[in-house]
Amino acid sequence: MKRAKEALVLILAGGVGSRLNILVEKRAKPAVPFAGIYRIIDFSLSNVMNSGLKTVGILTQYKPLSLMDHIGMGDAWDFSGRSRGISILPPRTGERESDWYKGTADAVRRNIDFLESNPSDEVVILSGDHIYNMDFDAMIEFHRSKKADVTVAMMVVPRSEIHQFGAGIVDKHDRIIEWEEKPKEPRTNLASMGIYVFDYTYLLESLKKDSSEVDFGMHILPRAIAENNVFAYPFYGYWRDVGTIQAYWEANMDVLKKDSGISPEQWLIRTNVEAGTRVFDRAPTRMGENCSLDTCLISAGSKVNGTVINSVLAPGVVVEEGATVKDSIIFDDCVIKKGATVDLAILDKRVIVGENAVVGSGDNFTEANHLKPSHLYTGISLVGKGAVVPANQIIGRNCVINGNVTEASYLGAPIEDGETLFFNGEVE
Amino acid sequence: MLKPTTLAMILAGSRVNELNVLTSNRPKSAVPFGGLGRVIDFPLSNLLNSSIEQIALLSQYRSYSLINHIGTGAAWDMIGRYRKLSVLPPSQGAEGGDWYRGPADAIYQNLDFIRFHNPEEVLILSGDHVYSMDYQDLISYHNEKNADLTIAFTRVPQSDAHRFGLAEIDETNGDSRGGRILNYWEKPSNPQSNWASMTILCFKPEVLYEALEENHKSDSYHFGIDIIPSLLQKNLNVYGYKFSGYWGYTRTLDEYWHSSMDMLGPDPAIDLEKWMFRTNLDHRNIRDNEPALMGKNAKVTNSLIYNGCKVGGTVKNSILFPGVHVKQGAVVENSILFYNNIVGKGCRFNKVVSDVNNIFGDNVKVGPAVCNEDTAVTVVGENNTIPENIEIGEGATISSGRSGKAWPARINSGEELQ
Repeated sequence: MKRAKEALVLILAGGVGSRLNILVEKRAKPAVPFAGIYRIIDFSLSNVMNSGLKTVGILTQYKPLSLMDHIGMGDAWDFSGRSRGISILPPRTGERESDWYKGTADAVRRNIDFLESNPSDEVVILSGDHIYNMDFDAMIEFHRSKKADVTVAMMVVPRSEIHQFGAGIVDKHDRIIEWEEKPKEPRTNLASMGIYVFDYTYLLESLKKDSSEVDFGMHILPRAIAENNVFAYPFYGYWRDVGTIQAYWEANMDVLKKDSGISPEQWLIRTNVEAGTRVFDRAPTRMGENCSLDTCLISAGSKVNGTVINSVLAPGVVVEEGATVKDSIIFDDCVIKKGATVDLAILDKRVIVGENAVVGSGDNFTEANHLKPSHLYTGISLVGKGAVVPANQIIGRNCVINGNVTEASYLGAPIEDGETLFFNGEVE
Repeated sequence: MLKPTTLAMILAGSRVNELNVLTSNRPKSAVPFGGLGRVIDFPLSNLLNSSIEQIALLSQYRSYSLINHIGTGAAWDMIGRYRKLSVLPPSQGAEGGDWYRGPADAIYQNLDFIRFHNPEEVLILSGDHVYSMDYQDLISYHNEKNADLTIAFTRVPQSDAHRFGLAEIDETNGDSRGGRILNYWEKPSNPQSNWASMTILCFKPEVLYEALEENHKSDSYHFGIDIIPSLLQKNLNVYGYKFSGYWGYTRTLDEYWHSSMDMLGPDPAIDLEKWMFRTNLDHRNIRDNEPALMGKNAKVTNSLIYNGCKVGGTVKNSILFPGVHVKQGAVVENSILFYNNIVGKGCRFNKVVSDVNNIFGDNVKVGPAVCNEDTAVTVVGENNTIPENIEIGEGATISSGRSGKAWPARINSGEELQ
């Protein structure tokens, strides 16, 4: 058996991820469901487990309940046991506004006591909201062989996207010699994936230096690069920051494709299927007499008697006879009733689409959402948790139906392309 | 905290020859059922849903698969201060030990265990049946009647009755819930009743202790053959409790197939979610399977599919356990494929039960082209790699683990390939 290195892991899971719109209305971005049975954070947690690392702290801040429920005791990722553990690290004290985490480095700094009570040679710091498969053990090995103070995982991205990332310029030994956080003018195509291996002592000293340095990418790394040894660990392969609705939808669709490079199964991604309050197991999916399927991912506990094309169904989804689901992502326990159509949409949990209703109607894909044009602009419509779409209701493209919207909220009118419907019946 | 008062003992050790290769390496209670779990999950889920929290499982025959499946008992919420699921295999004592010589002997050898728990009722169950039942209803009937023993009965077709323990239940003084047992016959050749015993027995502990001590001196150790008749003879208070829900039995391959098919259709007799079914998702790591992937040409109708399946072909009236892969152009009909079967391109299956981990090469034909009520089930034992293009005839049996042995191009109908 391979003996993995011991290192402390900190997962930053507090981000709001506001561009995911209503999908993060009641949960943090790492807790957003993905590919049917998973949540985004499962990818980071499984990577940690598969790298043989055993001690994990999860830094939470924004709407952490769903995330905490999902992580539970950490059994799903084998973090429970005498010599292993997973700790949720929320902001503490909480009496003053200033006690909230102000940035990634600030969050870690406020948990220095956790670091000090878990001494190790290295600290791996990573973000809980990316979809990828990576061996941190190999990265720690690289870090040691370079005698680095800090190692940053980096990958090549298109130059047009570099403005979203921390960008680094390296020498021929992979040492980072220049750093720009979110540069406006691209000078390199090497982007930081937000995954760092720190020398333990170096991290503690660095954090104690100046408490106004609240962000790794903005403050800690530039100084480290100027003064110390910072190396880039090259990563090749599938990696997505599913921080926008479009990227999130595309990554889900990638799971359906054979050669997209993403495979939760081959990557040994684990999830906590028992999270929540269910007392019995999901039964096998029941495919009815009129079931018609083409390229889709279907989770246990679903009942399908309609047509499902190019879509991802989470557990417990019901697609009744004559209903069609196409190019869509449907979360747990949604019901698509007889004759209804869901086309290019994301339905959060427990949405009910009434008989013959249409979610995603017409071919005006380009009229962006009026309220959040930067969120929805390719035609995808969103329906929030627990919302009802009444029978025969028409909903256009790039629409948002907020969570818990009831039948009465619709006021009998179609929801036109780009419109947003609120609980009180207001349409914007 | 309330201490549990009922102790349940599950008899899970038996195998039956009629289930053929499905029980070559496991007891009957560990046979996969329902597209997800095992037969034993039904009584265990019933116990969980009846809030009976002290359980012992008596196992003997090839119990590894069963013990592995039970794990810690956490799947059925059986870990806690007073909640426990103990596995009791045969064991040796100071005076030497013995295999369990029969069900009654198995309980007898664990009387110390029962006395230690000091229960108010001892519920003895078979681990071999498919049903959903609230045992508390039976227990309260038992207590209302101040019965020494209460046995659950269900009506079976008259033509099948001779295969069961049958009772005449007092209709005059009894009611729809049950009545005193006036007569009891174990597998009679000429049945005079169709109330069949479900092998669910609720004993007053002292009555059980005494009966087992006495039975221990004999040389036959069965509840149906020995203990029930002897208690009736002594004119003790023996009651029959009538159960009217679904009861699936799986003693023969044909029955196994029929009971499995009761899970299909728009309004199935076996509805796992309604029954609040639980299994151990850690066993065979079924919790780790990704959602089922349906390919471009997948056609799936009236079937059950679990996570981890990949379908590129056609699946009709069938049950696919986790990890089954049906490749393009393959047609699987009226079949039950256990965990991790791989069905090659262009295969044709009809009325097949295939045990775990079988890999079928391309264009293998198993079973007849068309199937009806009378078609015999074709069964393939576990861990086989079946070469491409071969034909396996209707009702044939393939032994498990035939690695290294030659495969004929055709296995005839009804043939047994060792």
